[in-house]
Amino acid sequence: MTSRLEFWQGNTACAEGALAAGCNFFGGYPITPSTEVAEHMAAKLKKNGGVFIQMEDEIASMASIIGASWTGARAMTATSGPGFSLMMENIGFAAMTETPCVVVNVQRGGPSTGQPTMSAQGDMMQARFGSHGDYAIIALCPATVQEMYELTVKAFNLADKYRVPVFLMADETIGHMREKILIPDTVERIGRKPLLPGTLPFKADADLIPGFGKFGTGHHVHVTGLTHDERGYPSATNPKLHAALVQRLVDKIENARYDMADYDIINPEASKVFIAYGAPVRTVQQVMHDKKDKDLGFLRLRTVWPFPEKALAGFRNVQAFFVPEMNLGQIAREIERHVKVPVISIPKLGGELHTPADLVAALEAHQ
Amino acid sequence: MKLAIDETRCKGCNLCIKVCPYKIFNEGRKLNRKGIAIPELDRPERCANCRLRNLYGRQICGVCQLTCPDQAIHWIEEEPYEPHKVAIEY
Amino acid sequence: MSFEDWYRQDRLPHIYCAGCGNGTIINCTLAAIDQMGWKKEETVFVSGIGCSSRAPGYILTDSLHTTHGRALAFATGVKMANPDLNVVVFTGDGDLAAIGGNHFIHACRRNIDITVVCMNNQIYGMTGGQGSPTTPLGCLSSTTPFGCAETPFDLCELATAAGANYVSRWTSYHVKELEKAVKVGLETPGFSFIEALVQCPTAFGRRNKFRQVADHVEYLRSHSLLKAKRDRMLESGEKIPGDMFVVGELTRRNRPAMGVKP
Repeated sequence: MTSRLEFWQGNTACAEGALAAGCNFFGGYPITPSTEVAEHMAAKLKKNGGVFIQMEDEIASMASIIGASWTGARAMTATSGPGFSLMMENIGFAAMTETPCVVVNVQRGGPSTGQPTMSAQGDMMQARFGSHGDYAIIALCPATVQEMYELTVKAFNLADKYRVPVFLMADETIGHMREKILIPDTVERIGRKPLLPGTLPFKADADLIPGFGKFGTGHHVHVTGLTHDERGYPSATNPKLHAALVQRLVDKIENARYDMADYDIINPEASKVFIAYGAPVRTVQQVMHDKKDKDLGFLRLRTVWPFPEKALAGFRNVQAFFVPEMNLGQIAREIERHVKVPVISIPKLGGELHTPADLVAALEAHQ
Repeated sequence: MKLAIDETRCKGCNLCIKVCPYKIFNEGRKLNRKGIAIPELDRPERCANCRLRNLYGRQICGVCQLTCPDQAIHWIEEEPYEPHKVAIEY
Repeated sequence: MSFEDWYRQDRLPHIYCAGCGNGTIINCTLAAIDQMGWKKEETVFVSGIGCSSRAPGYILTDSLHTTHGRALAFATGVKMANPDLNVVVFTGDGDLAAIGGNHFIHACRRNIDITVVCMNNQIYGMTGGQGSPTTPLGCLSSTTPFGCAETPFDLCELATAAGANYVSRWTSYHVKELEKAVKVGLETPGFSFIEALVQCPTAFGRRNKFRQVADHVEYLRSHSLLKAKRDRMLESGEKIPGDMFVVGELTRRNRPAMGVKP
């Protein structure tokens, strides 16, 4: 498989990855630092037979991609912190109705308007628990421009396979940096499971995923955010039905945690292990390169939700985990739940990346 | 054809009585098992659709059916030789 | 084919109260769609939240029952992604004008090729009778127990000002005219907005002295002023009573539309 070499911005790579994956609908609203994704899609989608529409706000953007997804389109939107908060109600709707869609969040300094042009990773918990009620989603974190491309393609495949909103949690650093990228000639495309005639539209198979009956094919699917039975009809006052439905929505993703888990383990015998995702990965890589210490390990996460806790068990001699994040320890909190050894959170607020000296200082402080 | 009100659906709102241009309905007096007084057909021979649907081959009037919020009004074919009053137009 | 064939018979009788105007409006809309000769496979209903928005659950086509106020945004996504589908939106006055106000004006501005039937019962019926942006001045509701202190929206004027191609208003009394108006809306390319004033006996009627459903419908009939008559009255300088509302085809024009079937 030949590939071609390009020098692209992260946001451009994300948009190109979407186009390669067959994205044919983008409904978005401009917000720094994700605007370039929308602009690139506005220029290129029409040539690929797709539709671009700039909606009036982020709520409408999320709504429009859900509507488009139900007509069979591969739909995507891109936003940042404030827009992400606005989209939450409709994200819950997508999770409840099992609508495949991809939401790119190029994170910026928060809370509120925060630092529009500086980097952060403050939305990680919000991606998992942002909407009301219990549900499960998938979140992928790219650390390079190459991963922006590849993980966007993966996001569409995971969304279609599991019928769930998938979040690409990038950050302003990766979104705005320019880097070398190798574009493959073709990318893998895994489509939605079709709805067989005569099957109920929300009846799941053994893998807890129902077939997808897109609009216009005569299945007459009624899609509702109310608690619904297998026919799709609202049935909001049935306790057992609601419990079963919500449990299935969560189990559908959580049970398949390791089918979709994507991470690298370096030096599994180490006693001090870094865990990182997104931009801090690059700092950790620099420290590992400088120190060349066999006793320093690294768990590089690409899927952060559902959290692959078995990866933590891959480090048998670990005495402490070090988690550099551009937030006040959101994933460190999740890691703490699963391990007995100390988890040292290395937060960095303000918009700048961790320096290698920051990480080394943290290592030395915990001797 | 004759007009039939579906007892499983009618909720007794009496809107059909109000909107019929030929005033064929009257308020019901007897309560049925659901506690609803279904409207009675006072002058069914005046219903334009009952009389003329088969003659013209399409729905005539039908305001009661469109208005009924519970989709309780239907027209059904009568039994052969079923007795019914006829209004003669001059 | 009659409009009855479009219902999901296994879900009837529906949840609407006795005498609810929504049932009437759904009948008229389905009758108009039936006359257009559309197929069930190529028609999609979209709705928000509320009594009016329960309607698509009773209709035998693909349908999208979405979040409160956002029906038009979802409908825009459906129509733009697949312009071959016929999209009809059911909303209510609160769903459309309160939380959905922004989406309403943008959908009108874009002039997207969908038809919106708004069942305006001037109250929030589903949640128990709170005031809505179209509750008339002085009317009682559960959140305006001393009479509504806000002037209401005129949804048709709003749609016209924002750019809709076809705007018309009828009531649940005028079933035949409403059916024709919906049919014209379905035929007109661009954004078609049909406002239907309906009675809500349980929430509005009970609090505002309409003891019988028929009384409220009579009020709707007697306070509706045909557009032609209103124009004549304006010309002759007669004063139009404040509680009358205009019914009929209020706007019809040919602004450029989006998402029209090629």
